[in-house]
Amino acid sequence: MIELRQLTRRYGEVTVVDGLSFDVRPGVVTGFLGPNGAGKTSTMRMILGLDRPTSGSATIGGRRYADLPVPLREVGALLDAHAVHPRRTAFDHLLSLAYGNGIGRRRVEEVLGLVGLADVAGRRPGGFSLGMKQRLGIAVALLGDPPVVLLDEPVNGLDPEGIRWIRTLTRSLAAEGRTVLLSSHLMSEMALTADHLVVIGRGRLIADTGLEAFVQAAARQGVLVRTPDARRLAPLLRESGATVRPGVDGGLMVTGLSGAEVGGLAGAHGIVLHELTPRRASLEDAYLELTGDSVEFATSAAGVVS
Amino acid sequence: MTAYGVLRSEWVKFRSVRAMLGCLAGAVVAAGSYGYLFGTAAAREYLGASAADRAAFDPTETAFRALVLVGVLVSAVGVLAVTSEYAAGTMPVSITAVPRRGLLLLGKGAVVALTTLLVGPPLALLSFTLSQAALAAQGVPSVGPGDPGVPAALLGAGLFTGLIGLYGMALGFLLRRSAGAISLGTFLLILPGMASLFPKPVARWIVTWWPSAAGARIFAVHPGTELLTPLAGAGVLAATVLVLLCAAVAVFRGRDA
Ligand SMILES: Nc1ncnc2c1ncn2[C@@H]1O[C@H](COP(=O)(O)OP(=O)(O)OP(=O)(O)O)[C@@H](O)[C@H]1O
Ligand SMILES: [Mg+2]
Repeated sequence: MIELRQLTRRYGEVTVVDGLSFDVRPGVVTGFLGPNGAGKTSTMRMILGLDRPTSGSATIGGRRYADLPVPLREVGALLDAHAVHPRRTAFDHLLSLAYGNGIGRRRVEEVLGLVGLADVAGRRPGGFSLGMKQRLGIAVALLGDPPVVLLDEPVNGLDPEGIRWIRTLTRSLAAEGRTVLLSSHLMSEMALTADHLVVIGRGRLIADTGLEAFVQAAARQGVLVRTPDARRLAPLLRESGATVRPGVDGGLMVTGLSGAEVGGLAGAHGIVLHELTPRRASLEDAYLELTGDSVEFATSAAGVVS
Repeated sequence: MTAYGVLRSEWVKFRSVRAMLGCLAGAVVAAGSYGYLFGTAAAREYLGASAADRAAFDPTETAFRALVLVGVLVSAVGVLAVTSEYAAGTMPVSITAVPRRGLLLLGKGAVVALTTLLVGPPLALLSFTLSQAALAAQGVPSVGPGDPGVPAALLGAGLFTGLIGLYGMALGFLLRRSAGAISLGTFLLILPGMASLFPKPVARWIVTWWPSAAGARIFAVHPGTELLTPLAGAGVLAATVLVLLCAAVAVFRGRDA
C-alpha cells in the first residue's frame, strides 16, 4: 500500500504536484493517468525518495522509502529505461543493484529469464533496442520480488507482444496481492490493464475511482441510430428529451434515451430503423473529457491556421 | 543494506567503467615516462652544476616528482566513479537501491580509496626506478629502493594516491559533470607548479600549504626544515579531502537525485 498525504512539490513559483492525497491499494492494478507534465513522474520520484516533497508525505506501508531497511525487497520501480550504463552488461547492472540489497546472483539470473533477456545477459546495453532496455528496467523492478511495484510508462516503445506481456505481468502481480501503480498514455491498454484509476492534471487530483465508474461518470453514453427518415425522427427524439447530434455517415448520435426507448418511439410512428446500436464510451473518451481543462500542452487546429 | 553489500555493488560498477581503467593505464605510462624524463633532466642539471651544488644534490628529490602528474589521472578515476553514473542517468536507480545516500557515498569512497591506494606504491616504485636509472646512466649519484627513507616514501605513495582518488570523487559529487570536475581537479592539483607566477609571499605560502604541494611532502626522503614534514603534509592533504568529502555528503544528501 502506498499512501500520499497532501503531497506537494514546488519548483520556485511553479507547483508541479499540488496537495495530492490518495492510496494505492494492494491486489489491483492502479492506473496513473494525466496529460504530459501533469506530475506523474514527479509523484513517483517523491514516493521513491529521489525528490524531496515541499510539503506533505508519501509513504509505503507507513514508512518513508528512505527508511526501508532493504528497499528493493519492498518496492520495485521502473522510472527511466534509458538509465543504464552503456558499457555495463545487463547482468552486472542488475548485480550491482542486487548486492546492495542482499540479493544474490541466482535471483539476477532468474529475473533475466523472467523478462526474456537471459540470452543477452552478458551483453552491454549500449546496443539494446528500446524494448530490450524496457525489459531490463522491468527486471530491476522485479529484482527483489517486491510487494509494491511502480512502473512509469513501461509499455513505451514495446512491440505488441511486449505490450501484452506487460499487461499479463502487471495483472498477475496484482492477482498475487501486490500493489501495482502503472502510468501510461495508452488509454486502450490502460482500459485492459487497470482496475482502478488515479487521474491527475496540473499536479491536482482529478479522479480516484474504479475504471468502470470512471468511464460511466465521465463520458456520455449514447445510441447510434440509422434511418432513412432522420428528418422525422430527430424532432421526435428531441421532444422526448434526447440530445441528437449527427453521427458518422448519416447516422444520428442520440444521448439521453436508451436504445429501447428510441426503438419504441420509432415504432410508434412507423419509422424504419436500419441500425440501433448502443455506444459505450471508451476510457479515452472519458479521459479526454475529464482532463480537457488541465491539458498543459494542448494542440489546437486554430493555432495552426492563424 | 549492509556496508559490505554496498561495497560489492560499487565494485561491480567500478570495474565496468572503461574510462577509469584508461586513467589507471595512463597513470602507469605517466609514472614511467615522467619518472625517466625528470631523472634525465636532473642528471643534466647535475653535470652542469658547481661542485658545491653537486655536493648538495639529493637523488631522491627527482624520484617522485612524476607522482603529482600521476595524481591528475588518479583524481580523474575518483571523478569518473561518480560522474559516469550521472552521465548514464543511473544515479536515481542507484539511490533507489541504496537510499541511505551517506552509505552509498561511503561505499563508492571505499572502492575508490582502496583501488587508488593500492596502485600508489607500484606507480611510485616505477617512477623511482626509472628516474634513478636515468641518473645512473649518466654517472650521476643515485639510490636504490632499499636505501634509508625510500621504502617509507614508496609506501606513503599509497596514502597520497588514495587521498587524491577521494579528492576526485568528492569533486565528482560536487560538480556531477566529468569535464568540469576533471578540469577543476587538475587545475587545483598542478597549481603549485605555477607558484612562481605569484608574488613571493604568496608563492611561498602555496608551495608550503597548498594541499597538493603539502601532500607531496609524503615523498620527501630528506625533509629538511624549510617545508612541512611528510606527516604534517599528509595531514594537510587529508584534512582538505575530509572537508571536501563532508561537503560532498551534504550536497548529495540535500539535493534531488
Ligand atoms: N527539476 C525540475 N525543475 C523544474 N520543473 C520541473 C523539474 N522536474 C519536473 N518539472 C516540471 O514538473 C512538471 C511535471 O513533470 P512530470 O515529469 O512529473 O510530468 P508527467 O506527468 O510525468 O509527464 P509525462 O506524461 O510527459 O511524462 C513538468 O511541467 C516539468 O516541467
Ligand atoms: Mg512522466
